[in-house]
Amino acid sequence: MIRIAAVGDVHVDRDVLGRFRPALEELPDRADALLVAGDLTRHGTVEEARCFATEFGGLAVPVVAVLGNHDHQSDQQARVSDVLTDSGITVLEGDATVLEIRGHRLGVAGVKGFGGGFAGACASNFGEREMKDFVGTTEVIAERLTAALLSVQVDALVALTHYAPVPETLIGEPLEIYPFLGCYQLGRAIDAAPTALALHGHAHHGSERGRTPGGVPVRNVAHPVIKQAYNVYQLLSSEVDLETLPA
Amino acid sequence: MGTQVDEYLEAEVQQLLTDGRIAELGITVQRRENVLVLGGEVESVQRRDEICRQITTHFPEVEIACDIGITRAQAPSEVEEIS
Repeated sequence: MIRIAAVGDVHVDRDVLGRFRPALEELPDRADALLVAGDLTRHGTVEEARCFATEFGGLAVPVVAVLGNHDHQSDQQARVSDVLTDSGITVLEGDATVLEIRGHRLGVAGVKGFGGGFAGACASNFGEREMKDFVGTTEVIAERLTAALLSVQVDALVALTHYAPVPETLIGEPLEIYPFLGCYQLGRAIDAAPTALALHGHAHHGSERGRTPGGVPVRNVAHPVIKQAYNVYQLLSSEVDLETLPA
Repeated sequence: MGTQVDEYLEAEVQQLLTDGRIAELGITVQRRENVLVLGGEVESVQRRDEICRQITTHFPEVEIACDIGITRAQAPSEVEEIS
């Protein structure tokens, strides 16, 4: 059994310091790892990244994150990642990490993702250079997610993105902005691997639960959606943990 | 009597909310007669107050009703089993 805590869109700045910490301090009793689905900061500044590291770093469980669109706002995303990495937080963008938990291997593959929309109402890689750049960016990121998911051999595989891979978890948002909230290419990437769970944020007015066309459970963990410090998901429920076996 | 609240004004307010300082893309703005009703959730009381202050500063004639909440941050009491 593995328990994963997850939240996104916490938008930390100085005014948020201390709000999450009491609940985060309880994590070792509730989950084996914390995944954060982007928009860690408000404007993507180094100072805000330090605030996030103060609030979400130094926990007794591993913390794995992807960046979101807010974390790119100041064009300092590389420095933001460095601050987080220096504080012990694993930041994924087109790669994967493996956590050993009670004899089980948990794989987490992550990308920020991008927009584009979903089947029947999506942007095409056609026409003006700007449009081809937009959809081309989406396609490249989705390919990187596929490669990252397929790069690890694990017992449970989780896809971590900021943008949504399915439209079901956007229900509650205006239909007109779906193409700015996610894209089907991320869902296709998730379905190309033996993914057990897909987590995303970004859609503050969206819905909590959905599934990819291939049947992978999708959860929107944006903080305004889950309305608590984090959600906890249990994987490998029927698996026997090594540490519980008799000596 | 407040300024006429039309869809151009609504768009300007939305633009203000996404400007660098506020950076809140998740706030809803509804026109109700001559009142703008603000909804959604933010991470702190300071952010909610700043949103109202900025709108009042930029559009002093506009009457606003603020229903913006602060997202709760307590630990969860349940675990969801994924299957």
